[in-house]
Amino acid sequence: MAAHISEDPSSVETLYASHHAWLRGWLHRRLGDSFDAADVAQDVFMRLLTRPAASAAQGLREPRAYLSTIARGLVVDHWRRRELERAWLETLAHLPEPQAPSPESRLIFLETLIAIDRMLDALKPQVRSAFLWAQLEGLTCPQIAERLGVSLATAERHVAAALRHCYTLRFGA
Amino acid sequence: MSRAGHQGSDSAAGAALPPGLIDDAIGWAVRMDFNAPSAATRQAFEAWLRASAAHAQAWERVQSLQDVFRRMPAQLALDTLQSPHVQRAPAGPRRRQALRLLSLAGITGGAGWLVHEHTPWQRVLADTSTAVGEQRTLQLADGSVVVLNTDTAASTDLGGAVRRIVLHRGEILVTTGPDPHAPSRRPFWVQTPFGSLQALGTRFVVRLDGRRARISVQEGAVAMHPPGRGAETVARPGESWWLAPQGSTRAPSQGFAPDGWADGVLAGRNMRLADMLAELSRHRRGRIVCDERVADLRLSGSFQLRDSDQALRFLAQTQPVRVTALTPWWVTVGPAAPG
Repeated sequence: MAAHISEDPSSVETLYASHHAWLRGWLHRRLGDSFDAADVAQDVFMRLLTRPAASAAQGLREPRAYLSTIARGLVVDHWRRRELERAWLETLAHLPEPQAPSPESRLIFLETLIAIDRMLDALKPQVRSAFLWAQLEGLTCPQIAERLGVSLATAERHVAAALRHCYTLRFGA
Repeated sequence: MSRAGHQGSDSAAGAALPPGLIDDAIGWAVRMDFNAPSAATRQAFEAWLRASAAHAQAWERVQSLQDVFRRMPAQLALDTLQSPHVQRAPAGPRRRQALRLLSLAGITGGAGWLVHEHTPWQRVLADTSTAVGEQRTLQLADGSVVVLNTDTAASTDLGGAVRRIVLHRGEILVTTGPDPHAPSRRPFWVQTPFGSLQALGTRFVVRLDGRRARISVQEGAVAMHPPGRGAETVARPGESWWLAPQGSTRAPSQGFAPDGWADGVLAGRNMRLADMLAELSRHRRGRIVCDERVADLRLSGSFQLRDSDQALRFLAQTQPVRVTALTPWWVTVGPAAPG
């Protein structure tokens, strides 16, 4: 990934020095918690460091607009992560004691869930469900069609649409 | 977002493939992975796969999209992702806007997990594991020896009043040891998702599939405990049993020695070709597809598991079959061309 590292790291340093306090304030207003704000601000600058040089240069012209664009995305991620964490903890709470994974495993699984959720995020609920059943329950398209009460062709279209979406995220169009 | 057309890039996220080709590969994935394909469908698929290297590459990419789901226990993932907190109404304007901003900023969400290797979730839970095609021998402190077969995950706990091995995935060969450091020999248990086993001084193989465990005893005896019940049956040397939540039942012979793999061989007499290939494919990535016209062919002998390519070549030389590798991930075994 060497080509993607900003060619002039001092420019990110400049951004950091001039706007870090402002960004933390901006984030604090949206997140309502100064620790979370500090974490997300850190993530914003981490993103900058791994950003293609061209888009970083663009950012230097309007630094605050640029920083807040990145930060907004990360704020959405932050809330979504909270929702998933809550659902994950509730799922674990219903598990019999001996089957509960260790704290390290829980964290790895949570990260995997977040990755899956993010990947499927933009899908319609019915498409998302169809794909989750196919992947996690091993349901075939006829079974998905029956469960959703739709035609086989629709169930197949759903699974194909989800695969297409994942493909584009991963490999580009 | 279009990518700069670097020539010669062979990375996973390398050159763009024609969109129509991706749609074709996805169509085949829907038919092959999420339907019950007929023989004719499978043949048409293989013809498509064979038609060009780009087809094979598109197919492999589409397959790789599904890896992330194997890294998560299915039921836990479903319960979490379908929880009411997480299931939302169709994306509202705020969410849509956020997504647009995300893509504007060039954040290709999820880039982090993409570099992860494909790891089945059971390995996360395990102290020790093997990848596909790998084996490992553990010498435990109590003198026991546990051999892990291909694609296996297990944990050991020898610290308590009982010795315990948890098999999360795959297959192990256990030879229990004398436990010299304990005041008296402690009980030895193997725990599986389908029930527990108590070793009664012994050498035995435990193998998991999706629904049950198979227990094959070479020496001594093993008491089988389906979940929530007492000892149900005792397995004796030479016997194989299924252990499942419903109980334990005798299992028919697989046609090959249950512990041959620990010596790196698949050895048997009068094995069905389809069974032999299913066994061999556990030791390599990708799939081996057996044409039904040769599925019932019988063979005897021993095949090297540590080099499955070699085993396939040997098969092609000694049997009336033809082995075709369309990609390393999709090998078909069919009848030899006449003459």
